Amino acid sequence: MTQLAISALPSGEPTAELGSTQYLTVLVGDEVFALPIGSVREVLEFSGMTAVPTASPVVPGVVNLRGAVVPVLQLSARFGRAASEISRRTCIVVAEALFDDGVQPIGVIVDAVREAIEVEANRIESRPPFGSGIRADFVSGLLRLQNGFVVVLDMKNVLSVPELEHAAI
Amino acid sequence: MDLSLARSGLVQEARELLRDMEKALLEIEAQGSSPETINAVFRAAHTIKGSAGLFGLTLIVGFTQLLESVLDLVRSGRRAVDDAFMTTMLDCADYLDLLVDAIEQGTESVDPEPTLRHALMAKLRVLLAANSISIVPVTPTKLLPRKGLRPSLRSELAHWHISLRFSPEVMKRGMDPLSFIVYLRSLGEIVYLHTLTSDLPPLEKLDPELSCLGFEVGLSTSSDQETLERAFEIVREESEIRILPPRSSVAEYLRLIEDLPNDQQLLGEILVAAGALNEEQLHEALLLQQSLKSGPQRLRLGEVLVQQELVPEKVVAAALSKQQQVDERKVQEQRIVKVEASKLDLLINLVGELVIASEGARTTAARAKSTELVEALAKMKGLVENVRDSALNMRMTPIGDVFQRFPRVVRDVAKELDKQIQLSISGAEAELDKSMVDRLADPLLHIVRNAIDHGIEPVAERIARGKAAQGNLRLHAYHESGCIVVEVSDDGRGLDPERIREKAVERGLVAANAQLSTGEIYQLLFLPGFSTASQVTHLSGRGVGMDVVKRNVEQLRGEIELESDVGHGTTMRIRLPLTLAIIDGFQVAIGRTVFVIPLDAVVECVDMVTAQASQNIINLRGSPLPYLRLRDVFGIAEANNQRESLVVVSYGQQRVGLVVDRLLGDSQAVIKPLGQLFRGIKAVSSSTILGDGSVALILDVHALVATALNAAHMGPARRETTQLVDERKEAS
Repeated sequence: MTQLAISALPSGEPTAELGSTQYLTVLVGDEVFALPIGSVREVLEFSGMTAVPTASPVVPGVVNLRGAVVPVLQLSARFGRAASEISRRTCIVVAEALFDDGVQPIGVIVDAVREAIEVEANRIESRPPFGSGIRADFVSGLLRLQNGFVVVLDMKNVLSVPELEHAAI
Repeated sequence: MDLSLARSGLVQEARELLRDMEKALLEIEAQGSSPETINAVFRAAHTIKGSAGLFGLTLIVGFTQLLESVLDLVRSGRRAVDDAFMTTMLDCADYLDLLVDAIEQGTESVDPEPTLRHALMAKLRVLLAANSISIVPVTPTKLLPRKGLRPSLRSELAHWHISLRFSPEVMKRGMDPLSFIVYLRSLGEIVYLHTLTSDLPPLEKLDPELSCLGFEVGLSTSSDQETLERAFEIVREESEIRILPPRSSVAEYLRLIEDLPNDQQLLGEILVAAGALNEEQLHEALLLQQSLKSGPQRLRLGEVLVQQELVPEKVVAAALSKQQQVDERKVQEQRIVKVEASKLDLLINLVGELVIASEGARTTAARAKSTELVEALAKMKGLVENVRDSALNMRMTPIGDVFQRFPRVVRDVAKELDKQIQLSISGAEAELDKSMVDRLADPLLHIVRNAIDHGIEPVAERIARGKAAQGNLRLHAYHESGCIVVEVSDDGRGLDPERIREKAVERGLVAANAQLSTGEIYQLLFLPGFSTASQVTHLSGRGVGMDVVKRNVEQLRGEIELESDVGHGTTMRIRLPLTLAIIDGFQVAIGRTVFVIPLDAVVECVDMVTAQASQNIINLRGSPLPYLRLRDVFGIAEANNQRESLVVVSYGQQRVGLVVDRLLGDSQAVIKPLGQLFRGIKAVSSSTILGDGSVALILDVHALVATALNAAHMGPARRETTQLVDERKEAS
């Protein structure tokens, strides 16, 4: 599996106090989302996943990450949308989540990875009161970019282990 | 000496010694004392004291010193061992354990249980001072500062020391001991006065007209010896009066102590407190005398000290270190290497990677179609398997390590509940993975406690039922088809299915009219909140136990079985895989996914002939075999052009067939857990990484067998019974 090199800040919450913050933009379906760079450990090309029988479409299987068996999350399914087709551009974003036995890696399947961007603090806006098509608690803010707004994902809620565990049942 | 470097070593040594001590104490209790066992206890205490002394750990030194003296009484035959004594000894061992914990945590200067210490030391002092009823321990009225370490022959006590042991009849002869003491007061100043009650009989036997008290008096006076002796002239003949002038030789004081064996330790303390001699002199002299007692010439204490003065280090060192040398020799014979657990884990991980890499190499060689390479790698595979087995073997520890704490537990609980229980342990050499041993302890403990609490009846009830008064509890471990089995059996009440059912209905765990087989009723015991104890004891019966036990066992990928005969006893059986790390697996494929079936569970493979199958049952050589078509169960859609195969698997006594697309052969699998997110998945238990880097899923044979049986309507009797009931209802 090839890796796209990403320089990341030590993992943590994006801080509004810094002059600017970095994000990784990804494509899910035909919509663009931004992930705080701190929540991204690495990005891998998708080269197959082992589907676990009778698993839920939200966490459909596992992949081998350098000898460790890591669960993968289908982001579109997590948003309640239909799973998209695997294409050449499909990637796995390796993030971290808090499990019972500590912080462990979890892969997030996205349809494409766009770019890493740096955004000044004044371009980050708080959550809008109206819906943006996905659960309100998955949205931590909006980025005002040249070509429009991009939803910033709240990775802590998106990757909430208790929820994911029960999605399987 | 610097404790920080030696801390963990000291703690480990102390723990081992305490284990030895406990073992010996329990042996004494069960089979009576013998010189070997008493010595074992004494040695353990003595060695702990010595090591603790090197680092100035005064809390331990002080306590063990007292303990040693008491043990010495037993060793020299001056005290018999009884129940209360044994309990005190075991309590002392427990307290020492707490002190060792404190060392480990770095809080060695703080007493973890001051009240307990005080109580235990009081008990020990009582044991030292008396053979009969408990007395108030004597505290010296004045504590003089400690003298130097060099033994000096002449005491520095500036007072007269008068030891009075009046004859019992003294009062009948018209003389009052008190009047003598009062008279002494007229001769000078009484610096200290100790009353010793070691000769007091039990209260019921006490004759108030007999004098049974002893007195140790320190008198500061300018009178001479003759005057003092004349004071006691009247009683001189029948009583023992000893008058020691000031600054007598230490030997004289020691002789006084020696001549009054009943009060030896107390006297020693009094004299030390008075300044007649110092503690080291007293202690070393007493110890030396003990160790030389068996020699050809029994030396008097005074002479012992003289000898010490002439040849100080050699003699003392020889006596005191004699025991340590014996110990060291024993340890050397064992030839055990202590390895840090983390180093072992690292090795196991590397071996795991080696196994995967070796598989990968073999796959590549097969694809390259080079026979030489395939052969070479086959040889390598053999070696890798050996390395794997050796590495895993290093993690294996005998289950006896878990069993060893049970004699003590059984003893304590049996005592507390006033039951008589004989514990027998077998199969302690059976080995299992080290990581499992620790996690097995708690469930086993709970099962054993249950057996004692609810299983074995009180003595009266057992006798009424025609059983022996002593109940039997057996811990038995053995290997069976790739698993380790641990059985806890008792010959107590057994499980009463009716009572269990009633309780379950009462708690709403089961419908009142539900029909359950005995096996299913037993399984109710593992539901949370269940307890048939009519009395909740503080040990068990709170109903929080068995479900946790079951969960713990399942987390070890094991399972728990129950067998019982009402009125006769119960057996609880825990079955565990030998290791959690690597299994031998049989690979099969369905669609694009590779699955691994644990090799022990595989019975045989045959071609799948659809014609002989119907309704989830296939005719295999004339017998019906329930089966599952895994691609249907798993919902795998990819087309398969090859003929399907049937893998017959077994679990316990059950056999079912699993239909798969392709058979791929056997290989080792390093088990990688799937993780929390897949905890609810039934058919798959864990995963492994194949040689080509892809992930294969390890099937949970138990779950699949249950599913297959259900699907084939060969499930629990309940189904049939329900159907029967329904039919009957319809008929009536």
